[in-house]
Amino acid sequence: MIEPRDLIVSPSPHRHCGARMTGPAYNLLLALVPAVIMGITYYGFDAVRVIAASMASAMLAEAGMQRLLKRPLRIFDGSAAASGLLLALLLPAGVPLYVVVVANFAGIIVGKQCFGGLGANPLNPALVGWAVIRATKTWAGFLDFDLMLVNYDPGFILQYPLAVLQAKGPAALSRFDLLDLFLGRQTGGIGASCMVCILAGGLYLVLRGTIRWQIPLFFFIGVIGVASIFWAADPEAYANPLFHILTGNVMMGAFFLSTDYASSPVNRWGMIVYGLGCGALTVILRAWSIYPDGVVFACLLMSLFVPLLDRLKAKQVVPRPMDLTTLTDIKGGRTAS
Amino acid sequence: MELRSFFGILPPRLPYPDISVPVESLPMPEKIALLFPETESGDVAVRVGEDVRTGQDMAREGKGPFVSTVSGRVEGIETFTGPHGRDRVVVAISADSRDAFDPSLKKIEDFSQKDPWELREAVNRSGFTDLSAISRNPTLWPPVEVLVVSALDRDILSLANQQTFRDRADDLHQGIQLLVRASEARHSVLAVPKHLEAMAAKISPGPAKAVPVSPFYPNGLPAMLARNCGAGLLMKGDYRGLSGNTLVVSVEHAMAMAECLQGGKPFLEKRVTFSSGQAGGFKNLLVRIGTPLDHILQAVGAALEPQGKLIVNGILCGYACFSDRLPVTPQTDAVHVQGSREVFFYDNAPCINCGKCNAICPVGLEVNLLGRLSEYGMTERCRDLGVENCIDCGLCAYLCPAHRPLVQLLARAKEALRSQAQEEIRRPEAPAGKGDTSPPPPVRLFESTPEEEEALRR
Repeated sequence: MIEPRDLIVSPSPHRHCGARMTGPAYNLLLALVPAVIMGITYYGFDAVRVIAASMASAMLAEAGMQRLLKRPLRIFDGSAAASGLLLALLLPAGVPLYVVVVANFAGIIVGKQCFGGLGANPLNPALVGWAVIRATKTWAGFLDFDLMLVNYDPGFILQYPLAVLQAKGPAALSRFDLLDLFLGRQTGGIGASCMVCILAGGLYLVLRGTIRWQIPLFFFIGVIGVASIFWAADPEAYANPLFHILTGNVMMGAFFLSTDYASSPVNRWGMIVYGLGCGALTVILRAWSIYPDGVVFACLLMSLFVPLLDRLKAKQVVPRPMDLTTLTDIKGGRTAS
Repeated sequence: MELRSFFGILPPRLPYPDISVPVESLPMPEKIALLFPETESGDVAVRVGEDVRTGQDMAREGKGPFVSTVSGRVEGIETFTGPHGRDRVVVAISADSRDAFDPSLKKIEDFSQKDPWELREAVNRSGFTDLSAISRNPTLWPPVEVLVVSALDRDILSLANQQTFRDRADDLHQGIQLLVRASEARHSVLAVPKHLEAMAAKISPGPAKAVPVSPFYPNGLPAMLARNCGAGLLMKGDYRGLSGNTLVVSVEHAMAMAECLQGGKPFLEKRVTFSSGQAGGFKNLLVRIGTPLDHILQAVGAALEPQGKLIVNGILCGYACFSDRLPVTPQTDAVHVQGSREVFFYDNAPCINCGKCNAICPVGLEVNLLGRLSEYGMTERCRDLGVENCIDCGLCAYLCPAHRPLVQLLARAKEALRSQAQEEIRRPEAPAGKGDTSPPPPVRLFESTPEEEEALRR
């Protein structure tokens, strides 16, 4: 009577909005294109070299680990390419390629695949790679922009603004024009220093809904808030908040590094605290640590708190009933008890 | 059909269509099949070869009612496995061309003088299950705070209910009067989609207050109507007894109830919206309850593709059928046919934690976490996160870029919790409230604040 037919049976819903796993990573790559172009304009073939090596080694590490762990090969979802590109944009153009390759292997293998791959990584793989370079004693010099970029002449002051701030205090910052900093005419990573390009890419990601807008917003609020406190306390010893926003990796961190899906919270209050924490830690590390820039370590530290931050529930599961006083009691119905 | 901006910062919106499609009547098939009502799996009292009349109760005492919608001969009784492995019973009847009505169905002309219990029994006896929850056990009887009569369809591919309201809004007051009397509701609300607000202003819906509802999915789902137009909690009757304070009934059922009781007839004909992935457009059909779906497909000239889908009750919250011989039930609103190319396949990809599901969930669940917990069988933690509040709207899975079957994962956790709780109730050595034999108290589906509790108790 009820004969089965050759039909597909599945749970609802029976249609999909069409979003794909590849969407976020490819959008991210697209958003970074202006920064990449600016990096290549300033540093020429050396920038191409670092970017290509970084993306290739990240994808190779991902594919190799997926093969080794007998997981389905998901290399074309773009996530490895994106983290490779992010790491490359944080590095100076003169960095040796073996450092790039080792950092990417460390980032992808230790930071991502060991924990189960995309979506399960507790830390952003690009940041893990960066931290490996920074923490390796003989390699830390490769992240010294003044040293690494000594042979280049892109046409602006070749001094890393944050290193100047750390060494000489805010009085020495008068040589940097804020507009120049904003337009990317400053020393820094291949792509991370071009603030206007990063800002444009970041806004694109926010508008496309690829990243959660709360995180960058509260990242900036955190940076401005804590930097203002320092600045108000002692303008002689600490730089003004705008300088903090426009130098180093803050723009990159707010839009691209801290918003990695798996290593950032999802709930509203979690995102707010995470963003504020990243921003505040960035300024604190810049002021009091031995490192000129604190963005990467701030993001890594806050990522470790994500499981806790995700417990901050924003939306309460309570119904929002209608105001019953606007309804009339039905006469002849149940008498009020 | 879907409003999606290039700027994904705004979530896609799924509007209910604002179109009027005339209803065509479909001739009765030679053979119909009747499904035993969904909440019961009990026994059927008739035997194969026996004659039945239209409106006859075919269930055993205390198991029904299970109302025949045709007069004819019982051709077969069959069991098949339905959702969650539960047995479903289906009875096939070869239909006579004329209806011989069962004399035990009585006409009730004036609802206002009748006892609510009698009205409820009469409504159930006519084949409606809307009031069965509140009429099963008098000791578990909490007051219905708000009665919501809804002119919205549940799914975006269904027009049946909206069309009923467009065509026959003037007759609605009788249905509302009946429901108010039968459910003893303290307030009543007529929920209408915003685009029909003007029409609602013209009619006098009895004691109900017309409330416009934004015509976007999932606002037409009963649980959402209870939240947005009612006192908050949809009334459900299940193994735990009763919970909720808002009863939601569709306009079509409300009108049909009044007609059935006044005419002494059972619920015979249902409006069903047919739509197809290939052809586009909608068709509204009036079909006899029990009509097999293939009869509808034949009548509209649609063919099933191998490896295609036959979907009942809409594309977002409906279910896919394994056979086109399954019948139309009183709850069937829509039938949709998908070709094999349109079928969407879920993936077993891991969650990438993008948070789209959390952002869209209309009841504020942490879907990303629940999906993963359910995947690894951690149902206890799912309960802590409120998985039982899920209303199966399907928006999470609709948006998921990793194509995870989130609705199925959450349903799995809910089903595990349900069967676990049922097991605990059944266990004889369970301390039944220290000698108290009353069933466990109704469980609140949502936590409410003391103020809300007070407002509900008022």
